[in-house]
Amino acid sequence: MKKEDIGIGVGLIILSIWLFWYVGRYRPVEIYIYGPDFFPRILAVMMAILGISLIINALLGNSLKMGDRIDPKGFVRLLISIGICIGYLFLTTILGFATATFVFLFILMTFLKQKGILLRIFSSVATAILVWGIFRYFLIIPLPEGWLF
Amino acid sequence: MQFDLLFAAFGKVMLDPINFLFVFIGVTSGIIVGALPGLTATMGVALLIPFTYGLDPVQGLIMLVGLFSGGIYGGSISAILIGIPGTPSAAATILDGYVMGKKGLAGKAIGMATIASFFGGTFGALTMTFCSPQLAKIALKFGPPEFFALAFFGLGIIITVSGKSIMKGLVSGIFGLMITTIGFDPLSGCPRLTFGSIELLGGITFIPALIGLFGYSQVFQGIEKILTLPTVKSELKNIIPKLNEIKSVFKTMVKSAGIGTFIGAVPGTGCDIAAFVSYGEARRSSKHPEKFGTGILEGVAAPETGNNAATGGAMIPMLTLGVPGDAVTAVLLGALTIHGFQPGPLLFRDHPEVVYPIFAGMILAQFVMLGVGLGGMRFFARIINIDRRIMTPIIFFLCVVGSYAMRFSFFDVGVSLIIGVIAYFMNYYEFPGSPILLALILGPMVEQNLRRSLIISHGDPLIFITRPISAAFIIIGIFVIITSYYRIKKAMEREAKMGIVAEKEKID
Repeated sequence: MKKEDIGIGVGLIILSIWLFWYVGRYRPVEIYIYGPDFFPRILAVMMAILGISLIINALLGNSLKMGDRIDPKGFVRLLISIGICIGYLFLTTILGFATATFVFLFILMTFLKQKGILLRIFSSVATAILVWGIFRYFLIIPLPEGWLF
Repeated sequence: MQFDLLFAAFGKVMLDPINFLFVFIGVTSGIIVGALPGLTATMGVALLIPFTYGLDPVQGLIMLVGLFSGGIYGGSISAILIGIPGTPSAAATILDGYVMGKKGLAGKAIGMATIASFFGGTFGALTMTFCSPQLAKIALKFGPPEFFALAFFGLGIIITVSGKSIMKGLVSGIFGLMITTIGFDPLSGCPRLTFGSIELLGGITFIPALIGLFGYSQVFQGIEKILTLPTVKSELKNIIPKLNEIKSVFKTMVKSAGIGTFIGAVPGTGCDIAAFVSYGEARRSSKHPEKFGTGILEGVAAPETGNNAATGGAMIPMLTLGVPGDAVTAVLLGALTIHGFQPGPLLFRDHPEVVYPIFAGMILAQFVMLGVGLGGMRFFARIINIDRRIMTPIIFFLCVVGSYAMRFSFFDVGVSLIIGVIAYFMNYYEFPGSPILLALILGPMVEQNLRRSLIISHGDPLIFITRPISAAFIIIGIFVIITSYYRIKKAMEREAKMGIVAEKEKID
């Protein structure tokens, strides 16, 4: 993964330069000679050194071999799943935690091509009610509420 | 050692049915998590923490240590039944366990793994109970330079958990340290890197970060590969081992328990190394080393005793010094902090009512593990067969709940999701997640004590090597870094050689 390592190395150097510059605004005060900028600046320098080392290492041909590659179709599936999750977060305040959880789990299982509809319904309902019950009645931790429950 | 407190804790934990119930829940969930390939004990503990918020700290903590023990044992079930270690620590169990499974002796192998895990776990837990208070007494004498040196030593572990590339492990570690600088500066109170966000004033909360690193990242990989991964079915026949068979491996178990506990207590090693070293030693000292790998009980007993003994060992530096021995204990350290207890020597002085029940809980967990493991063997074997398309969404949901429940904050869920996405890409480019975890734990300790020490010494860095304890930790830290470097380099060379041989064989 030579190209990838070089790209990441450059990214790390940019991050380091930015951090070093940005924390300069946190000036030390009175007895704190080693002020709030001290530690982040040490880290920025170390990260820059590592970024340069990563690039040199890659240019010398010592990068690790790329193992498993990201499956493009799988990646799209992942992005859609994250989208479903974000939709679920909005839905919890509208429908309520338990109902939204059931909808989220059912949709996600269907999207991931789980074929047994009864199994999907049962596992979604059981998980939603069980976790909702534990948090609401046992741990007494507030969960988002909506029109339903 | 305050024996009165210890006995009182045993009474409190062992005789109270509610405490027993929590240990039972922890151990059972641990075995399930451990038995499911792809789910680690680290992830299990991280996901269970939110369920402990509303509980009495002792109940919550003993449930978590129960999960730790159960999780390490649970890995052996899938290792024996389907040849895939449920957790990395069960990898050595495959060598003989899976062969036994293929011969139709899976029941016997799991039975032996259960008994060996119980033996090793109890040995480790007892060692932890008797050694930790002594170590904590010494650690009470520490000042800022010693704590900095200790944290430096802890950060040296980053090298050992760096995976294939030390450089990438260090990048992860520094990245983790950078994350810890977000929020109020611990000394001056100045808000740093918050970009005007109120939610970031307190920094990146530990649990959402943890769930992002170990929960979401695995879920994301699972979703990406869900349609391409093969489905493996498990089968379970036959019975548990006979008494004379247990007697025949007893010596191996005793030796492996000692090795496992010692290795576990060395920060940065962990249960997987303990299992392999125990297996290697059992094979080396055996009268019939050639039989190892052909499916013998000794080959199952050694790694399973070793890895479970390491659980108790790994708790020693975490509780006494506040330095986690491995990723799971790092998460447990976070759990203690969330419940308002700072692991380290002061914990023993200020909160013995918490420390001693943890000891008792860990010992009780071994007995519960023995009972649940032997009694529920067939049930756990079936769990492995659950469809990934059902399990993955449920774990995804538990990650959401876990990251939300700490502060009832959707912001935390967002942070966790972002860290999960970063960790997902990091996995592909061989940047390990464990160094970030260690950095999140040790970062504040490093920064505070580094700056305090330099203020005390008027900027003279020699303060770290002129004080004996501090100097000792720095020397040990450097030693750990150098030896780990050579260990990883050797392992990489061996792997490269094996790759060349495999390619040659392919060509031939």
